[in-house]
Amino acid sequence: MTRERALILVALFAILGAVAWSVRPNEVTAEGRVDRITSELRCVTCQGLSVKDSLAPSARQMRDIVAQRVAEGRTDEEIRAEFRASYGDWVFLSPSATSWAGLMWLVPLVAFAAGLAVALARIRSAAPSVAAPPAHEVAALRERVAREEALDLPQTDGAE
Amino acid sequence: MPRWLRYSIVAGIAALVVVLMLAFRYDPRDIRTGTVGKSAAQFTAEKLDGTGQLSLSDYAGKIVVLNFWASWCPPCKVENPALIRVWERYRTSDVVLIGIVFNDSTDKAREYVRTNGVTWPTVQDGDGRIAFAYGVHQPPETYFIGRDGIIAGRHIGEITEQVLVNGIEQLRAQAAR
Repeated sequence: MTRERALILVALFAILGAVAWSVRPNEVTAEGRVDRITSELRCVTCQGLSVKDSLAPSARQMRDIVAQRVAEGRTDEEIRAEFRASYGDWVFLSPSATSWAGLMWLVPLVAFAAGLAVALARIRSAAPSVAAPPAHEVAALRERVAREEALDLPQTDGAE
Repeated sequence: MPRWLRYSIVAGIAALVVVLMLAFRYDPRDIRTGTVGKSAAQFTAEKLDGTGQLSLSDYAGKIVVLNFWASWCPPCKVENPALIRVWERYRTSDVVLIGIVFNDSTDKAREYVRTNGVTWPTVQDGDGRIAFAYGVHQPPETYFIGRDGIIAGRHIGEITEQVLVNGIEQLRAQAAR
């Protein structure tokens, strides 16, 4: 039993070690950083395309600028700040959460809350209402039960 | 469904439609560049006619009109006569017009200059660094730089003689105050 437990423990540690190894932070290459930054930047001469995805000459030039800045050792935030200085927040495909355009991030939450509210309202309205019978019906039923008990008749629910 | 909930949903959908309409509308004139109101980026570039280099600093203290253009850009051709008239009007004054070739080959740009009567100093922006520094989206775009070296305004798209003159005269009036 002790040996089995030891084996289970070893297996658990092995699994945990494998998981930890697989999720370790990867070394980001310069090219990877260029890809990541250019995928956030809007191609200024196209519609809805990132600098990374666009083949437009101006997008290629912007990619070159990002690559040069990465090679110079600038941080991602410094590179983003340089683009923001030239083009404003518009140059970023995803609106900043701290700007007015960042309200767009609330749209899915609002849509979810609205859907939930509608669903709850529907469920409530579809539930059968179990209203108490009026007093005269109750009185009539009691009277009938008492009568049948007095006659010693089997009680029926009226389904026969 | 309660009435308040129905009204809320309708109002929410209407608000979403308005937001999406505003978000997807694409008019470059609405896009605010980050450079207006800031110091004009200094640059040195090869002159298109091959006579050496031109630096923005050569024109310190003058009113500078930067016009980004390309030979493949139809609105650039449309606005060219207005640029010629304005250049002829101000070329001996404190105003300088500088053309900057945007994403174009030197040969085609030279051909454009020759056939369209461009006589003002023009430089090639081969790697797009000047356009990037000014926040240019696509040609034609025109920037007005005051004597203090601050970018006072920008015009996206085809520019008219009236807009050019107004921009220049406003800068002159500001400088005179």
